[in-house]
Amino acid sequence: MLYNNNKIALVDCNSFYVSCERLFSPSIDKKPVIVLSSNDGCVISRSTEAKALGIKMGEPYFKVKKIVQENDVKTFSTNFSLYGDISRRVMKTLKQFSPQMEIYSIDEAFLNLSSVKNENLLEHAYKIRKTVLKWTGIPTSIGIASTKTLSKAANYIAKKEKSGVVDLINSKKTDELLSEIKINNVWGVGKQLTKFYIKNGINTAYDLKKIHNGWIKKNTNVFGSRTAMELRGFPCVSLEPHEEKRKNCCVSRSFGRKVKKLEELNEAITTHCLNAAEKIRLDKQTVKKITVFIRTSPFQIGNSYYANSKDVDLPIRTNDSIMLIKQALIALKSIYKKGYRYQKTGIIFSSLKDSDIYKKNLFSEINNDEKRIKLMQAIDHTNTRYGRNSLSIAQAGLKKKWNVKKQHASKIDTSCFNFLPTVKIA
Amino acid sequence: MKLLLPFHLQKVGAGFPSPATDYVEDDIDLNAHLIKNIPSTFLIRVQGKSMNKVGIHNDDILVVDRSLNPKNCSTVVANVNEELVVKTFVKEKNQSFLTSGSKEIKDKINLAENPEIVIWGVVTYVIHAL
Repeated sequence: MLYNNNKIALVDCNSFYVSCERLFSPSIDKKPVIVLSSNDGCVISRSTEAKALGIKMGEPYFKVKKIVQENDVKTFSTNFSLYGDISRRVMKTLKQFSPQMEIYSIDEAFLNLSSVKNENLLEHAYKIRKTVLKWTGIPTSIGIASTKTLSKAANYIAKKEKSGVVDLINSKKTDELLSEIKINNVWGVGKQLTKFYIKNGINTAYDLKKIHNGWIKKNTNVFGSRTAMELRGFPCVSLEPHEEKRKNCCVSRSFGRKVKKLEELNEAITTHCLNAAEKIRLDKQTVKKITVFIRTSPFQIGNSYYANSKDVDLPIRTNDSIMLIKQALIALKSIYKKGYRYQKTGIIFSSLKDSDIYKKNLFSEINNDEKRIKLMQAIDHTNTRYGRNSLSIAQAGLKKKWNVKKQHASKIDTSCFNFLPTVKIA
Repeated sequence: MKLLLPFHLQKVGAGFPSPATDYVEDDIDLNAHLIKNIPSTFLIRVQGKSMNKVGIHNDDILVVDRSLNPKNCSTVVANVNEELVVKTFVKEKNQSFLTSGSKEIKDKINLAENPEIVIWGVVTYVIHAL
């Protein structure tokens, strides 16, 4: 039964990071491949062949090392500039198929296909898949349904289908398919809710769809009942074609090795501030609050474990790197304790707002402010033109010995002249 | 406060007005000319030997469009023996081949007989430093 005329497609790239790595390395086409998170910590993308070997998503690398060595699994560190560029290409290609599109993540987008006739939906979806594959080299799966939650569910099933497309709008087997989806794989159902549902005998998407709405409303929150309504075909979550501006911006990294000295932490915090400040300036935002945090490895036992954070309320809204760094370093100094082996540090800029509501502080020297704004613009322009960190602040350090481990990184960047992919002449 | 003055391309002066003012356009944007389809076009650097007959040399940059289908004598990037290589695409009597430069060369690869070979993209321009 249909309660609305919406037709929403969720297009999801298959093993996206692995597919990006494969694009310029045909030799790993049919081989098991994995991509590791920053610092080569955990598995964050797996090819079908790697999944078949039993490598789980999110598993720490040291736990799968044996499988990797025994089966010659090709392993990559993240190469986000490559993935980002390929993602932009995929999204640009998708945009042609529907002007109403919501980019949901680096490798997923919702498309509004309401103007496509029901009988043409499948054909249309095949065309989308074929075009994305030909233009960008990235394989995708497509789920089509009348709500976002259902299209997510359709996509989940499409991943397992050879055709790569599942259309629930023309399907009479929707309930049958929903009962194949475990409750924890339903969009919007998190860990806590999963536990609660299973305790109450709700094990599949179909179970949730059939449960009485009053019960859900009484026992969960508004999001719980939204999910159930969406599974029934009532749209509760609308497509958001306009990218919402972020409300906070976090940059943090684990160190390549443990760090003890305050000077090195200073370098890391400065680098993170520079990155975050550049991001918010790009979005024309300003920040009012900074949080600085440090911690040792959570696996440290007893007295050797330490974690702390400090919030700083800024006197005026700003996106000036120098001012932000100054404040962040004062905060860092106040929480730094000698003698610990730090594993991770980061900063969070919060309560971000558009910079046009930037108000001049009564006490600030206007001239100085304008000079600073120009300086920031000059830094941003230089770095866009000549590559990141061409122009930095000396405090960020030059050697950055603490920087992340990237042992298996592919040195390809399709958006940077110095790291273009290569081709041979045979 | 800054006072913004309207900007005139042509000086208000006594002399003869420039006859070019009506024809002034933006600077040339090479991207717009060399890249027809942005999401499907990649820049790829040539490594190793040269393909003199086609005019491709070591270290040149190829503009490769994945969205195009090769025509007879197109220069293409193809996946041959698990490697990306530059080849010439040749069509003869309904059969397609890949060759290493010119039609005469004997090392023709028949695409119908080698289904594992995939055309990766079509080379549209070569950027060569002199």
